[in-house]
Amino acid sequence: MRKINVFQACFTSVTLIISLVLLMAVGSLFVVPSWEDIRQNIWAPEMRFAIRLSVLTGLTSTLLVMIFALPMGYTLSRFHFWGKGLVKTIIDMPIAFPELVLGLCLLLLFGNTFVGKALSSVGLDFVFTKKGIVAAQFFTALPYAIRIMKSTFDYINPRMEFVSRSLGYSMFETFRNISLPLAKNGILASTVISFARCIGTFGTVLILAGGSYMKTEILPITLYLNISYGNMGMALTSGIVLMVVSFLAIFIFEKAEVGI
Amino acid sequence: MKRLLLACIAVLFLSANCPAADLLIFSGAGLIKPMEEMRANFEAAHQIEANVHYGSSGEIFAGVAAGQPCDVLIPGAEKYTQDALKNGWVIEDTITRLVLHMPVIAVPHGNPAGIQGLLDLARSGVRVAIGDPKAPAIGRVAKKILEKAGIWEKVTPNIKVYAPTVNQLLIYVALKQVDAGIIWADLVTWAEGEGKLEVVPIEKQYNNIMTIPTAVCTQAPHKDLALKFNAYLASPEGMAIWKKWGFEPCAK
Repeated sequence: MRKINVFQACFTSVTLIISLVLLMAVGSLFVVPSWEDIRQNIWAPEMRFAIRLSVLTGLTSTLLVMIFALPMGYTLSRFHFWGKGLVKTIIDMPIAFPELVLGLCLLLLFGNTFVGKALSSVGLDFVFTKKGIVAAQFFTALPYAIRIMKSTFDYINPRMEFVSRSLGYSMFETFRNISLPLAKNGILASTVISFARCIGTFGTVLILAGGSYMKTEILPITLYLNISYGNMGMALTSGIVLMVVSFLAIFIFEKAEVGI
Repeated sequence: MKRLLLACIAVLFLSANCPAADLLIFSGAGLIKPMEEMRANFEAAHQIEANVHYGSSGEIFAGVAAGQPCDVLIPGAEKYTQDALKNGWVIEDTITRLVLHMPVIAVPHGNPAGIQGLLDLARSGVRVAIGDPKAPAIGRVAKKILEKAGIWEKVTPNIKVYAPTVNQLLIYVALKQVDAGIIWADLVTWAEGEGKLEVVPIEKQYNNIMTIPTAVCTQAPHKDLALKFNAYLASPEGMAIWKKWGFEPCAK
């Protein structure tokens, strides 16, 4: 009996101590600047620009991510085809390598190659533009969304779909009327995580979109630029805004997860 | 498992107790290539261990201001050394002007936009990259140069990106994402840019050339070695290394 208690106490205290350190780290962001300072910085044109651009690009990218993650997650969960293992590895790759590397890869692809030229001839110019921010966020967040969607579909019993098919629904009708409603919580979780990931994307945006002041300046770039300008107040404020956004996202995510 | 843990702890202790350096150098980050070579040579010649801390000029200046132990201070622009002198942090007699930090126009291999001089940056359709005027020194200097030439307003619409760091600027030019960028001459000779960049000099009347100075700190913990290293940087041997990495010596 006593042994179990020691075990339990050890594990719990480790959890608590690390949580406390994290909480203190997060809290110090709020303690250092004065509220007056934060209020002023939030109303500064630079910050308003960054918040607006972040939300706009974040929402656009999240929408795009979900449009692609649904069929891709479903494909990886349900269908079998030659080379599936390799495809899965390729899709997961951006999770493993640093954002900066991903940014550099995208810059090279969209830069002076035939792909980049073809895209820019139809008006899709990704280098140093706001569209580039969306592209950078899209590729950074997509693997996470696909992963969540795949495991969501993995948990849905295929028997439901078999029954639906046997009762006369086509594959697409089954997907729309059976699989999607069952995956509701997973879709919500995936959307929230994608949005948080998009808002927080830094390295990819920095390289592909340039990270120019008041041009392609999203919130993480504001933080970075103001550290190098030596303007700590502004840097801390953008940190706080980002923190609040990701806290809300994680909160919603946890709520949704309970429902899964 | 236990053994692994013990080994980890041992490594932690050892690294914490590693011997203190015999010489502490604060250097601008842009000088890393020649500085590393000179440090290695100096270490071998004197059988010592030198520790170089690289940072932006503002950062290392702030380090000295905050009282961090420093023997030799080599920032990227003379302004910092003069400010340090005013505050009594460096010894006046030891201040030596070493080399020039010269802004140039870097263009991708083959010069696709046919840039011949500074005024070409104002031509419509030319894609230009400069450093963020608020962040790296080269950004501020680039803006100054363009203003001196009276073309800042005309160039602004051409500026596709304000890079937060100088190395990003180099990448964008080397990868042909822009037609021209204003950058330090010495950076262009770095191996990274070799064969991918060409240099177009900026006309003398517009250019804003910086000098890189060295100085020994008043509170230097290892003053003897500091004086020797300070002299070595300006010695003929040192100058050869500066030149090798693309820095031009100051005219005596």
